[in-house]
Amino acid sequence: MKIIGEKINGTRKRVQQAIVERDAKFIRDLALSQAEAGADWLDANAGTAPQREADDLIWLVENIQAVTETPICLDSANPAALETAIKVVKKTPMINSISAEPHRLNGVLPLVAQYKTPAVALAMDEKGIPKTKDDRINVIRRLLGETRKLGVADNQLYFDPLAMTIATGQDNGLTFFETIRAIRTEFPEVHITCGLSNISFGMPARAHINRVFLTLSMAAGLDSAICDPMDYEIRTTMLATELLLNQDKHCLKYTKAFRAGAFSRPQPAASKA
Amino acid sequence: MSKELIDAVVDMREEDAVKIAENLLNSGADPLSLLDDCREALGIIGSRFAAGECFVPELILAGEMLRQVGALVKPKLEGKSGDTQQKKLGKIVFGTVEGDIHDIAKDIVEFMLEVNGFEVIDLGVDVLAAKFVEAVKAHKPQVVGLSGFLTLAYDPMKNTVQALKDAGLRDSVKIMIGGGQMDDQVAAYAKADAYGKDAMAAVTLSKGWVGAK
Repeated sequence: MKIIGEKINGTRKRVQQAIVERDAKFIRDLALSQAEAGADWLDANAGTAPQREADDLIWLVENIQAVTETPICLDSANPAALETAIKVVKKTPMINSISAEPHRLNGVLPLVAQYKTPAVALAMDEKGIPKTKDDRINVIRRLLGETRKLGVADNQLYFDPLAMTIATGQDNGLTFFETIRAIRTEFPEVHITCGLSNISFGMPARAHINRVFLTLSMAAGLDSAICDPMDYEIRTTMLATELLLNQDKHCLKYTKAFRAGAFSRPQPAASKA
Repeated sequence: MSKELIDAVVDMREEDAVKIAENLLNSGADPLSLLDDCREALGIIGSRFAAGECFVPELILAGEMLRQVGALVKPKLEGKSGDTQQKKLGKIVFGTVEGDIHDIAKDIVEFMLEVNGFEVIDLGVDVLAAKFVEAVKAHKPQVVGLSGFLTLAYDPMKNTVQALKDAGLRDSVKIMIGGGQMDDQVAAYAKADAYGKDAMAAVTLSKGWVGAK
């Protein structure tokens, strides 16, 4: 499993505040703790207005790079901000994201091709997120037609089949798993990723839903996730599922993680007076 | 008033609720009182939702039960004289702005507005400014609600308010915004009248604007 650490995201209120106030320590701590928890990329999303986004994204990149060598996943729909940021990253970044929407195809995909970056690819087009598995696969086929035309290798792409909330459609989980299986069958080279928390939006006791969703998705063929790598439930579930799916040779990842204390439940943070 | 019907809806017993409604109608109950019962039940469900005791799938089921009872009642109302429609507090045109496809929060707010007596015209998601203008012309609402989850929605919100102004409609409506990344500053940026932090805030704002308690 490849983990894209999701925490440096300006659409979260606390991160937004850190960006606006230029609270470098807050961002650096988030970067370092996620990197130490095993993130393969650190997502960086400024989430600010277009006119200041490029500056904010560069500030994020500089602070992340000040504390870790973990590559960065530049998260923006704004081609100008992306291109400015690509020039300051030290390691090849991932780009989050392309889709079959014209503004992303025309604005973001050329950057992916030019800088040969891995990219998250959303299974949606200008009409939105298709309802059925077949319609999503059609969008993915179309998108792959475009990426291949520009010479982007299939294994550089991390398709996000887009998990919709169970609360508003009880078949959304099944559609998601079926879509993963269909992608795996038709396009064995591509990676499949997704966020782990949208599925449980609107429900109580969400952590349980998210955890089992991760397991079922991995069983279907998910090989990456956009998540909080420090989350105890997610980490332990990921380790156990990899083990059970024969993705952990000699069970070494699991046993090493055990010795490193990954399975001892984190103590609740001591209350500060 | 049928406590039995109210309880069935509140307890999420869909089949019971429909059966009870049928029995009530067959035994000559006033069809309008059934709708009042449903409204009362949805009000209870709405406050439980606001208190975190009831959840999105239950809101959806409650809406579905209301629809089913409504379908049973409707034929009985036809031919009845007088005003069969409950008097609405006001009209609200609502939608998620261009470029944003989030619908859950929008649907919850619309549900709460309807339960609280407003007529809501839902324009859906990824709604162009021009479509808001068209809907305001056609429906003459007192309030327009702009929903958006992403920071990408800031500018479309601003453009929508501007489009209403350009069409000479800005002074005829109050505009509220809401959603994940919205706050008072975004409302000021978009030149909307107010930001509502949740569904109940939207109800309070709208009631204030139409002069209802």
